[in-house]
Amino acid sequence: MEQHTNQENKKHWYDKNYKKLLVIPVVLLIICISYLMYFYSQNGDIIYKDPSLSGGTTITLRTESDAKNLELSLKKSLEDVYVRTISDISTGKQIAVLIDSSEKPEVLEPLIEEITGQKLTDENSSIEFSGPSLGNNFYRQLIIAVIISFVLMSLVIFFLFRTLIPSVAVIFAALSDIIMAIAVVDFFGFRLSAAGIAAFLMLIGYSVDTDILLTTRVLKKRGEPVNSRIYGAFKTGMFMTLTGLIAVIPAFLIVTGLPDSFRQIFLILAIGLSADILNTWLTNASIIKWYAVHKKLD
Amino acid sequence: MAKMTLRLWILIISLVLALFMISPTFKDGITIKNIEKDSKAFDSGLRSGMIIEEINSQKINSLEDYSKVSLIFLNDSSEKRISILTDKDSFIFLDSNISSITAGKLQKSNIKTGLDLSGGARALVKPVNGTLTESEMSDLVEITNQRLNVFGLTDLTVRSSKDLEGNNFMLVEVAGASPRDLEELVGKQGNFEANIGNKTVFVGGDKDITHVFRDASQSAVYPAESLGDGTYISRFSFTITLSPEAAQRHADITNLIPLDPSSGGQYLLENLTLVLDGEIVDELRISSGLKGQVTTQISIQGSGTGTTPDLALSDARAQMHKLQTLLLTGSIPYQLEIVKLDTISPSLGEQFTKSLITLGLFVFLAVSIVIFVRYKKIKITLAVILTMFSEAFITLGIAALLRWNLDAASIAGIIAGIGTGVNDQIIIIDESRSKDGSGLKEKIKKALFIIFGAFFTIVAAMLPLFWAGAGLLRGFAFTTIIGITVGILITRPAFADIIKKIGEQ
Repeated sequence: MEQHTNQENKKHWYDKNYKKLLVIPVVLLIICISYLMYFYSQNGDIIYKDPSLSGGTTITLRTESDAKNLELSLKKSLEDVYVRTISDISTGKQIAVLIDSSEKPEVLEPLIEEITGQKLTDENSSIEFSGPSLGNNFYRQLIIAVIISFVLMSLVIFFLFRTLIPSVAVIFAALSDIIMAIAVVDFFGFRLSAAGIAAFLMLIGYSVDTDILLTTRVLKKRGEPVNSRIYGAFKTGMFMTLTGLIAVIPAFLIVTGLPDSFRQIFLILAIGLSADILNTWLTNASIIKWYAVHKKLD
Repeated sequence: MAKMTLRLWILIISLVLALFMISPTFKDGITIKNIEKDSKAFDSGLRSGMIIEEINSQKINSLEDYSKVSLIFLNDSSEKRISILTDKDSFIFLDSNISSITAGKLQKSNIKTGLDLSGGARALVKPVNGTLTESEMSDLVEITNQRLNVFGLTDLTVRSSKDLEGNNFMLVEVAGASPRDLEELVGKQGNFEANIGNKTVFVGGDKDITHVFRDASQSAVYPAESLGDGTYISRFSFTITLSPEAAQRHADITNLIPLDPSSGGQYLLENLTLVLDGEIVDELRISSGLKGQVTTQISIQGSGTGTTPDLALSDARAQMHKLQTLLLTGSIPYQLEIVKLDTISPSLGEQFTKSLITLGLFVFLAVSIVIFVRYKKIKITLAVILTMFSEAFITLGIAALLRWNLDAASIAGIIAGIGTGVNDQIIIIDESRSKDGSGLKEKIKKALFIIFGAFFTIVAAMLPLFWAGAGLLRGFAFTTIIGITVGILITRPAFADIIKKIGEQ
């Protein structure tokens, strides 16, 4: 009985405050956009690019040499060079180091060989090189692909719901997901590869399923108050997103030594899905509630 | 036992078909990748594709075992009885060694992994000036393919690829080749000329050169000599046969060249210069006896260098091999640029594969636990696990059927596909348990609307990846779309039936 009144109160509270709730994501979105504009003014681009997009070399070397020392030594001769480690989390042992630079392999290889005292062979190392023009070309095309992907997704949403406001709410939530994810990625200084940007396309498709769930429940379910439709959708949708996030966690906490392209895809999805919680249940939910009140769908 | 519905049958049949496509084996051994025709091994009935299990009663479980046995044979040049037991039959022949057989790792299943997981090299090549037409591109692909085949690379794909902006590329992927080879064989135009003075006697390719000797009798690498400055040089030479026209040209040109008085008339005044892509490979003196002669057999020479005698020797061997390949296959009429070159270490790839498999298991485990915690029903959890597994398995089956190379991004696509699948199942479960007035059928219909909506948005969102970035990320889009399609058409309907059954009980 008490639970019932509790829920009544909650509904009441939501009716009063849903418009205010919309303020939270909007403010966050404005912060993210401002940050991205600042970022752009500093870096001339909206993300940090790895050699697969900016041109340059990535060398993965199986070594026990210390990554920090290697980076310091390399920095003496080269300006932009980054070294990261790939380690086995169960033993904590370093498996390999990842060395990024805009230089050509011919420049990077001898330096690494000299510092580590290891000869780079087919067995102990992988070398990936992209020419600068190709990197730019890839980057430009992936950006175009993200835009096309977004447009196609929007068309599908319009086709599904055939009403303006609910469709725009879904599309706006997806756009916020992307913007917030980029801002977080930039904030932590991640350097994106081609696979990382491809992950944004997946995010576009993947993040709207909770929005579709919410919108369908509110627009198509009759005989139940709008608030409980939203709450029902929230229970299901949150669980979907949480399951997705839990599935992504092992890739960062338990299993290491994963290929970089794979980690990037999972990272973008994890960040994007987290942003999606906010954008579905505050942004989209508030808009659709507003719409439902306006259209008297109760 | 509940009644089996049509949808459950479809699921079961799909699983069986997928198993058939993947066809995993648990055998040990190695496969024959290639076998020289007319060799004794070939005559005995051995064929490529067979699995070698034993050689002369010695178990062969790995490539290392094979090379050990092979080396023992090579150390003794006498003819001996060799008996090879394969999965098909046992074959016996007399030969000194088994070098006519090229062995490869036994494929444990039909699933092919991408370069980042199996190791190998990849080059993306673009003409320097402008773009090529379709037919020019297919010529380029053909010449490159031939060149790499003649060079001795077997496990390779060469194809043209177009991107969103209409640029065309040639994509070359080789399993297990060293980067140096690929760069030189793919990037080089391979424009070979033999000049005397400013006149060209012959060029590379089958028009002027009818045969290139590659056997030990007419091709050789000579012991390295010290150059004094810590480097060594090793010379090589091999014979080629010129076409009658080229030989006649040789006669006409040399006929006009006077003898060199400083050599006492032993040589001609001009040298034969061998030029590859504008660089001089070697300069050879022409002995006076060849003046005006129609010579069809010509010796080509060159050298390799290195910091030790061994390195010089192997460099010379590599240079000779490359030159022979270029002479045989001729030149590519366009200047090329390698815009992307990746060489992936097989052992790192192995590490990555292991990590991905471990991760896959963890994802399964994590999702199953979460589902169980939420619904507290073992039957529902098992149903979800079954669908996740089926989806992954059928997707792998389709990838095996289409001979799709699964790279790391493709695996991410499969896992994400499963993720969407789980989401859909959650929607079905929750819709079917929701307390609105409508019947179960109605509820599942509503769930399907949401599921199909989500399906079409993912397909639409992933489509552009088929073209962006020279199609290198195609695998990611491909496996995602296949995965969710399998979900929509096969596993989801079956899952909905299972849930209906659980609900009825």
